[in-house]
Amino acid sequence: MKLIEALEFLKRPVPESAPEWNSFLACGMTPLHLQTFLAARLQVRLPQYRVVIKTGLFGDLIGNLGRLQMSGLNSLVLAVEWVDLDSRLGIRNLGGWKPTTFRDIAASVIRVAATLEEKLGEISERIPTVISMPTLPLPPIFTTGRAQTSTFEVELRHTVSSLTASLSQKSGLRVLNAQCLEELSPSTERYDVKSDVLTGFPYTLSHASVMGELLASLVVPPNPKKGLITDLDDTLWAGILGEDGIEGISWHLDCQTHMHGVYQQFLAALAGAGILLGVASKNDPVAVGEAFKRSDLLISENDVFPIEAQWSRKSESIQRILKTWNVAADSVVFVDDSPMEVAEVKAAFPEMECVVFPTGQYRAIWDLLWRLREMFAKSLVSKEDSIRLGSIRDAVAWRAAVPAGASTPDDFLKAAEATITFDRPLPDGAPRAFELVNKTNQFNLNGMRFGESEWKNYFADPKAFLLTIEYKDKYGPLGKIAVIMGKAGVHKLHVECWVMSCRAFSRRIEHQCLKQLFELFEVDEIAFDYRSTPRNTPFREFLTEVLEEPPVPGVSLSKKSFDKKRLPLFHRVEGTVNV
Amino acid sequence: MFETETRLQKCFASVFPGLTLEEIRGTGADSVGIWDSLSTVTLVAVVQEEFGIEIEPSVLAQLNSFDAFRDYLCQLSQPGELR
Repeated sequence: MKLIEALEFLKRPVPESAPEWNSFLACGMTPLHLQTFLAARLQVRLPQYRVVIKTGLFGDLIGNLGRLQMSGLNSLVLAVEWVDLDSRLGIRNLGGWKPTTFRDIAASVIRVAATLEEKLGEISERIPTVISMPTLPLPPIFTTGRAQTSTFEVELRHTVSSLTASLSQKSGLRVLNAQCLEELSPSTERYDVKSDVLTGFPYTLSHASVMGELLASLVVPPNPKKGLITDLDDTLWAGILGEDGIEGISWHLDCQTHMHGVYQQFLAALAGAGILLGVASKNDPVAVGEAFKRSDLLISENDVFPIEAQWSRKSESIQRILKTWNVAADSVVFVDDSPMEVAEVKAAFPEMECVVFPTGQYRAIWDLLWRLREMFAKSLVSKEDSIRLGSIRDAVAWRAAVPAGASTPDDFLKAAEATITFDRPLPDGAPRAFELVNKTNQFNLNGMRFGESEWKNYFADPKAFLLTIEYKDKYGPLGKIAVIMGKAGVHKLHVECWVMSCRAFSRRIEHQCLKQLFELFEVDEIAFDYRSTPRNTPFREFLTEVLEEPPVPGVSLSKKSFDKKRLPLFHRVEGTVNV
Repeated sequence: MFETETRLQKCFASVFPGLTLEEIRGTGADSVGIWDSLSTVTLVAVVQEEFGIEIEPSVLAQLNSFDAFRDYLCQLSQPGELR
């Protein structure tokens, strides 16, 4: 993005009613064009808000953090440079570069780093925080030649690396990736000496543009995709299974097909992070089953479900996989080496990300893996991520066990030996709840989404509550599959957010939730902040069932009415809920 | 000349939103209340980026109006100097 484009984008009218998104840009430099680029990039990502960026005083990064007014702030962005750690590491202050000062500079950097770590530890617990560590080159301060690393330089970099490692472990803080920055803004093209001296803004426009883009992407990360469907022949492996046979397909260095092994390894890593993996291949299912039993395959058969190997159109296979996963097409990526197959699937699912696997092109495969990593990026891997695919298999087994055409019979539910655990975690310690609320579409009361700061602010109200619901039965655990949030009154409970994973349908968990809400909060009535969304039909049907009429916004359900119509429930209920 | 003026108008419009074309043409540090040091730095950066040039600090003080910018760019508009 050029500066003129950023300025023009910021001129576009935002609806009067749009709420403000307040971000504080903390830096020691004149924020100038970095502020402009960051504002424009945030506004692109937050069209429903009016982005406002506040800044502090020049040359006083630590002081700006100390004066930070956290109330009403949605995010904090820090752009740290060497000069913020010690002003002698810049060129605007002529504080001396004699070798006798090195020891003092190194000690000063350690002190400032410790202060930053302490302050950011406190701030990031309350405000979502993103930070870039020094991006500009150190000045020619050391006595060694350009090619030789100075001991003091190593000490300085070690201090910053230690600080980065510590900050990256904090849940409310995201650190800009130096490798990514290097790719988009090479280090030799970042520093504008003239601008630094004349205006106090040290970034070239191209560097400021990239910094604005990357920092904004950390403030408002995109929703990760949920699943990947891959082709097999000349994609997961090299060769055609039907022609080359099970031993003829390969993914090895000696066959010059190693990049397929790298792709398998990458998919296995995605599976480990809870990404759903499926196969859509025009192939003989028996041969595919045998191929997946090869011991040198880098991805386990258990990591992939379902495997659709048959001879009809790929889009039909994908339709079945989506149904099994119960996810929307726009949450899925399809990878196939055939441009024709990719085009066929894209035509059937325009909202799906469909990618051609560039067989035989080393660099292009490398770039594809980075692109996929970006699409599936997530900061945390939860317990639920590790059991997601297993629970989908269990759900299929569950559906197969239920007599066709019948609603789930009582005997079957009773025999499932289900246990539901209700918990009331601290909002800060509930990343799974935050994730569920922000990605569940179907069983969703109103489609409400939360930013990190909105999440923290919501629970600042003493009446606010957060319930998480975990489920397991003899078919296996589903993990935390539902979240209910709202405000508790004396006789009435206001449910403002209620989501449940589609993996947990047909188990009467939602009915048990209602029963527990009445009992735990000892209320006579529950009001629902219901709103219809393009995708929340399952929730509407549930409310219609318990209310015996289609729901409207603000609809209430009395305990008396619920008790009269309640379906038999067979779950064992556990929990540590204190209301 | 015409193209340079049009591109320059676009630069001014991005830095001074809300001004009409006529107002932009009559813009000068004395006539526009919002023409401060920040907008000067921003305008110079936008013009440098748009025209692929580097404006020397020594001439900054003279670039105090739309006409001054246009004349400066015209002086540079020898073949190969402007992008």
